[in-house]
Amino acid sequence: MNSEQIAGILKPITTDIVIEIIIVIAIVIGLSWLAERILPWLAGKLYSGRRLLILAFIPTIRILLFIMAVMRIIPLIIEPTLQNMIAIFSAAGVAVGFALKDYVSSILAGIVAAYELPYRPGDWIEVNGVYGEVKHIGTRVVTIVTPDDTTVYIPHLKIWTDLIHNANSHTPDLLCVANFYLDPDHDPEQICRILKNVALTSPYINLAQPVIVLLEDKPWGTHYRIKAYPMDPRQQFQFISDLTARGKLSLRKKSVKFAHLSIYPAFQENN
Amino acid sequence: MNGLFEIYLGLRSKKGYSNSMADSNKWQVINADDFHVPAAPTVTKVQQQWKSLLRLLGIHESEPEEEDDNDHQSTVKKEFDRRPAVKALNNHLNEWSKKKESTVCFLLDPPFSSTDDIACDWAKQKKWKILTPPDNTKIRNLDIDGWWKEQKNKNNWLINDLTRYLIRTSYGLSFIRELLPRILFGEFGKGLVVCDSWMFAFIQRIWPLKFSKVYCFAAAGPELLKQVGIHAGNKSLQKLAARVHGNVGIALTVRSIEQNEDRKLPELPGESNDITSFILYSVLMHRHLSSSQLQEILTMLPAEELNLQLFQLKQYGILNYNEDQWGINVEAYLAVRDFLNNRAFLLDIF
Repeated sequence: MNSEQIAGILKPITTDIVIEIIIVIAIVIGLSWLAERILPWLAGKLYSGRRLLILAFIPTIRILLFIMAVMRIIPLIIEPTLQNMIAIFSAAGVAVGFALKDYVSSILAGIVAAYELPYRPGDWIEVNGVYGEVKHIGTRVVTIVTPDDTTVYIPHLKIWTDLIHNANSHTPDLLCVANFYLDPDHDPEQICRILKNVALTSPYINLAQPVIVLLEDKPWGTHYRIKAYPMDPRQQFQFISDLTARGKLSLRKKSVKFAHLSIYPAFQENN
Repeated sequence: MNGLFEIYLGLRSKKGYSNSMADSNKWQVINADDFHVPAAPTVTKVQQQWKSLLRLLGIHESEPEEEDDNDHQSTVKKEFDRRPAVKALNNHLNEWSKKKESTVCFLLDPPFSSTDDIACDWAKQKKWKILTPPDNTKIRNLDIDGWWKEQKNKNNWLINDLTRYLIRTSYGLSFIRELLPRILFGEFGKGLVVCDSWMFAFIQRIWPLKFSKVYCFAAAGPELLKQVGIHAGNKSLQKLAARVHGNVGIALTVRSIEQNEDRKLPELPGESNDITSFILYSVLMHRHLSSSQLQEILTMLPAEELNLQLFQLKQYGILNYNEDQWGINVEAYLAVRDFLNNRAFLLDIF
């Protein structure tokens, strides 16, 4: 494409057009900034489903603002004829193919993610072994914060090939599991009853969701699991801690023995 | 012939008199499944939603009240003439109470509605025994037989507050789990069980079957509010009834505060958090709890943090503290209910 062809595609750039473009960009950045400050603040005051609904609006608003800005700015710079659009997209395709492949792939994946919804702000996801809460869905990356307060940036293009584990799927219901490992000599019905009471008496529990106690026999003893839901996904760790602590206390009061795994079984056998 | 005619007239006039008495009594006992909160006018709904939003955002004129001994009177719920309510209860249960079968009915008691007092008045009228609740030792040891032996009762009975029969700890549920089947199977004879509505919602969650014969008083409308002594226009009373979910006790309190310019309904502190919600839910469910019982229910809370929260809630007029028992202030009930609703707690049906 020579300079004459390029000149033919582009409109004359006047001072007024430049000012208008700057104003449009400034407004979009400002509105986007406001949405990213006000909506999370509002969501922080809410709980359960209402919080997740407000958080879900943030990436949608950003995409809408971006589209509106593009629709406003492009006609100011380019003469939108069919011939010009073909020329522009051909040049862009070459650039994307060679230099910006991964970057554009991430951006496109972000747009797809906004509609396929593998994750939304407020979801707890695991990607490549990293588990955390989705805090921000950017143009190229999704930002999650792990339970250790580490911020991890995951490119959107991960959704093309990697498995995305979503623990709560845009809902306030996140299943938590508390594990107990007991000596095999006990009454399983009594243990199930105790552990169910432990769950039902937790202040964090969502009483509208089911509580299940499961057991599985192992060579070293019996593995019990309480499966229940907290009222808010952010309480999951306190919830599991509460179940574990009170569960152990209740079991000790009934003189239930916990499993004791030998680290050196061969050594102990010989001695 | 004249004598028969006079007897007929007498019977007819008596029936007419009873009909007019029944018409003037607006109290009504219904199945709990049929309970409906009075409909609020659209303007009132919008006002309630706006107030709820302001509470969520922590924007309200909330200041701690100065402690004043005279304020103790303000925390006591307003009384009303319970006799019409007792009559309505009797009309509903009369036929059942005369049958010889050993069945049990449940009567739901929304907070501050005085349903437990109404049931006690009715039981005294019927000469039914009001059972004493078990102490903590009996609850821990699941000593149901020991508890029943102490009652020394062979007649029909009333449990006027089922919340005293359990505590929301892992050991505290076992007593009620053992007691309820024995009551329902008629082992202790015929009885009426009055249960706080919040505790009943929790018990339904832990109990595998749906209870039958569960009753409550119908929501108070403008006519009933007039009957208990609140005088205002129908529109104003309709708004009040919707605002207090048809609860007579709360209506009387809210009305008396609205008529006093110097007082307003308390609001929760702006910094209320998860711990605040746990405390309020526990106290509301059990009606009253001592500090040690609260600590037992909320074991994960350090004692100093629990005490700080309790002190702050007392300062803000949300909780009261009498004879080592913490309870929700009647004036704060609506704010507490709204707060717990916004945090996805299990609510009662009222």
